[in-house]
Amino acid sequence: MKILTLIMQTFRELVMRATLIVLLGISSIILIGLALALSSSTTDQGTTLLIFGLPATPPIPQADFESVVLPLESSLAGGLITGIVLLGIFATAGIIPDALEKGSIDLYISKPLARWEFLLGKFAGAVAVIGANTAYFITLAWLIVGLRLGVWDSAFLMSILTITCMFAYIYAMVLFLGLLSRSSALTIIVVFVYLFVIAEMLEGREGFLYRFVTSQGMRAAIDTMYYILPQIPAVRNAVIKQIAHQTMDWVPFAQSFATAGALYLFGTYLFTKRDL
Amino acid sequence: MTAVETESLSKTYRTGFPRKASVAALSGVSLAVDEGKIFGLLGPNGAGKTTFIKILLGLTHPSAGEATLLGVKLPDTRVKSRVGYLPENPRYPPYLNGLQVLELFGKLCGLSSLDARRKAPGLLATVGLEEWRTMKAKRFSKGMLQRLGLAQALINDPDILFLDEPTDGIDPVGRKEIRELLKKLSGEGKTVFLNSHLLSEVEMISDTVAILDRGRLLRVGTIDELTAAGSAYRITHEGILPEELLLEAAALVIHIKDLDGTISVETNDAAELNRLIDLLRRHGITITSVLRVRSSLEDSFMHLIKREIPA
Repeated sequence: MKILTLIMQTFRELVMRATLIVLLGISSIILIGLALALSSSTTDQGTTLLIFGLPATPPIPQADFESVVLPLESSLAGGLITGIVLLGIFATAGIIPDALEKGSIDLYISKPLARWEFLLGKFAGAVAVIGANTAYFITLAWLIVGLRLGVWDSAFLMSILTITCMFAYIYAMVLFLGLLSRSSALTIIVVFVYLFVIAEMLEGREGFLYRFVTSQGMRAAIDTMYYILPQIPAVRNAVIKQIAHQTMDWVPFAQSFATAGALYLFGTYLFTKRDL
Repeated sequence: MTAVETESLSKTYRTGFPRKASVAALSGVSLAVDEGKIFGLLGPNGAGKTTFIKILLGLTHPSAGEATLLGVKLPDTRVKSRVGYLPENPRYPPYLNGLQVLELFGKLCGLSSLDARRKAPGLLATVGLEEWRTMKAKRFSKGMLQRLGLAQALINDPDILFLDEPTDGIDPVGRKEIRELLKKLSGEGKTVFLNSHLLSEVEMISDTVAILDRGRLLRVGTIDELTAAGSAYRITHEGILPEELLLEAAALVIHIKDLDGTISVETNDAAELNRLIDLLRRHGITITSVLRVRSSLEDSFMHLIKREIPA
């Protein structure tokens, strides 16, 4: 009950933030655009994808039409992931530092509420908001694609879960850094540097970093870093593959679940020991 | 029964890098607060008052010592359902209005949504915020935030209230209203633990007072005990006291001052006072009254604090 109250409160707090309203607005504009732009035309030669009434593909046999639609859905999911990473982190990075301010945290922790419950409520609230946003975009996009193009792809709908899960991994880092630094600006900078520089370099370490690093010891250190930090780029690629009906690699999900979970638990432990 | 009991409670903060410097915020504080009383914890800034409360509420971990709250050994999260707390400078979610703030904290205290919603309007009326109940907390003045804080501290009908500088930013009329409310709550059997540096406020309502300075407990007692008539007297006389006589009198007592026919004097005991009166009478001074002076809480406080400051 108390955790649910905190989830609802965090949900409310985030909905009030301009960044999430922008994300919702952009999602809505894209959805309206999709609804207006997408259509198909079927002739004896096959089905043609039309964008604003103009043929975007040659006629394709109906049975193969899905192969045109799946990349489109993957692109939509990829765009949503970028939006969530950029705006979602901006919107949620301040939750913990704001809550830890004097006069605010005192009110919460003086209530019959364990510290872990407080953090869980905040964590689940942030993930719930991004999950709701993802569900809004993916469900409506799925309906539009289904109604306009006749392709009802359940894998695309399932990506609501995998994208939300990916955000939960990222948010575990945001929460941990927010607890340590008490600064939303510093948290955003560190997470962005990690996601866009370090994680990408670690993901492509064999084709890029190893060209410059010849020492076996250093390579082992880089590998260790790769395995102890959440593999967000690998998770993102796995989500895209899932939508494109390619063989999905669950290892990054499991590994990131373990490392993000460890970060979350360590953050909770530090918070429990801290003087407020 | 005691509402709060601490035994050699200590807190040392590690500061600097690599955390080698230490600051003793509390040093072996042993204190007992009776149930149903208004207890005032006094001390200058940095005395350790807030640290003491924060340890009792589980916000800060003690370095040593033990504490019990309402008979429950700390730390214990569940006992906090019987506690209300108003922190210094409370900050509420800015997007919530007064009613929503109370509903939120009521639910965090374990009340059902319905109960919290039912109690909120009455509490806002009690603290004088009825008119502004739908105004967002971010638009509240400092005094209004304090009043709202008091209402949220009462939402769970607590057995003990911890109030950290509750009248900060509140006008004199509001202060009086809050004093009356606290007296009423105490009358209902609730314990009020008041943390303040406003001595006159505490003096007006507290049953018992403790004085804390630099983490050490200097004195505990009732207001009467702390401000008890001591060794200060006021002697009124007719005529003018000659300078030589005043010098001779000064040798008999701790301190003496003559101003417009009134001698303020501090003595070690009644015998000294009598020797002074004998001296004045021998010199033909007509004494019209001798009054024992009761010190204010502020005098006692300053006296204690000054005594503790090394020369």
